[in-house]
Amino acid sequence: MPETNTIIGETILIRGNLQGDEDLTVRGRVEGTINLKRTLIIEQSGVVKAEVSVNNAVISGVVVGNVTASDSVEITQSGRMVGDIHAPRVIIVEGAKFKGRVDMGELPQSRAVETPAARKVFAPVKSAPQPVRPQAAPTRAAPPPPASKAALKEEDETKIVPARKKIVVKKR
Amino acid sequence: MANVIGSTIIIEGEISGDEDLIIQGTVKGKIALKESLIVERSGVVEADIDTRNVEISGQVTGNIHSSERVEIKSEGRMTGDIKAPRILIADGAKFKGNVDME
Amino acid sequence: MALEPPGVIGKGISIKGNLSGEGDLIIEGTVEGQISLKNHLTIEETGVVRADIEAERLTIKGEMNGNISASDRVAVLANAKVVGDIKAPVVVIEDGAGFRGSIDMEVPLPEDL
Repeated sequence: MPETNTIIGETILIRGNLQGDEDLTVRGRVEGTINLKRTLIIEQSGVVKAEVSVNNAVISGVVVGNVTASDSVEITQSGRMVGDIHAPRVIIVEGAKFKGRVDMGELPQSRAVETPAARKVFAPVKSAPQPVRPQAAPTRAAPPPPASKAALKEEDETKIVPARKKIVVKKR
Repeated sequence: MANVIGSTIIIEGEISGDEDLIIQGTVKGKIALKESLIVERSGVVEADIDTRNVEISGQVTGNIHSSERVEIKSEGRMTGDIKAPRILIADGAKFKGNVDME
Repeated sequence: MALEPPGVIGKGISIKGNLSGEGDLIIEGTVEGQISLKNHLTIEETGVVRADIEAERLTIKGEMNGNISASDRVAVLANAKVVGDIKAPVVVIEDGAGFRGSIDMEVPLPEDL
């Protein structure tokens, strides 16, 4: 990553309000508030104890405080954060440590809605005995997903298939 | 590698540290460094300054206490008191305040 | 240790109730209730889960609404939509994932913070 012009070195401590219209790299310590219309980069040695409001934040050091970003927040492998994140894009990489809330704003409407048909299956029926174990309902539980996704294949009755190739989660 | 406070940056508060610092933006408050402070042409500082060296090409309002030297360059403008063993005020610089070379 | 193939809850299946077990599980359908697994749970892209989940590892590619407690790791992949609280030692959120809720990992901080 090309170096930003504004650099706060390892031994520098700033206590107060910091604002600006350029990218900023923190290798030292900032306590207070940070308001940038650009990107805040907190390097591994950086410690920020502040309320942060930026376009982007890349956190490889320590942040204690809330971060609001108009674009993205990324906590990298060496990043440690305690606080809330408000940003449309949030990336938390393997190795990062985070504790707090994440709010990406309104998530798109959920695909599956409880259809009246599905609910009916579980309405108590006096004549039939109550099932001990939960039963699989062989109905189409969800309405077709939005056009962007491939249409669900119509299946009459699906059985739980025991034999299947094991899915391997790729490690980064 | 020096620390740089860029021209669009405004800091209100205290800055301290063990490294050189170049100010191209605005700082209001206090600056205490074990090394040198350079206020570049676009820099505006309203603060009391306590550093080893100070070099001013921008605007400074506040008192300076330096253990080595203070230099106000020809574009520099300063209002405040200077306390330092060595002082250099270039031709063209503007300065208003007291000077104490101990 | 004999590796059992994972269970699969297919796309057309909808379950309401409690799921528990020791094997890996892949959910492609809909589950509402509570899930407690001793191994790896994968919610595929078509999966919709409204449940509190307790598992060792959890990989989410679909939709999930509920609280998660994992002893090892939770990964929320791109295009997933998750609403709920996650408590796990490792939580990974990919670029493009949708998430709203809290995350609790053990965060080692310097002493003075």
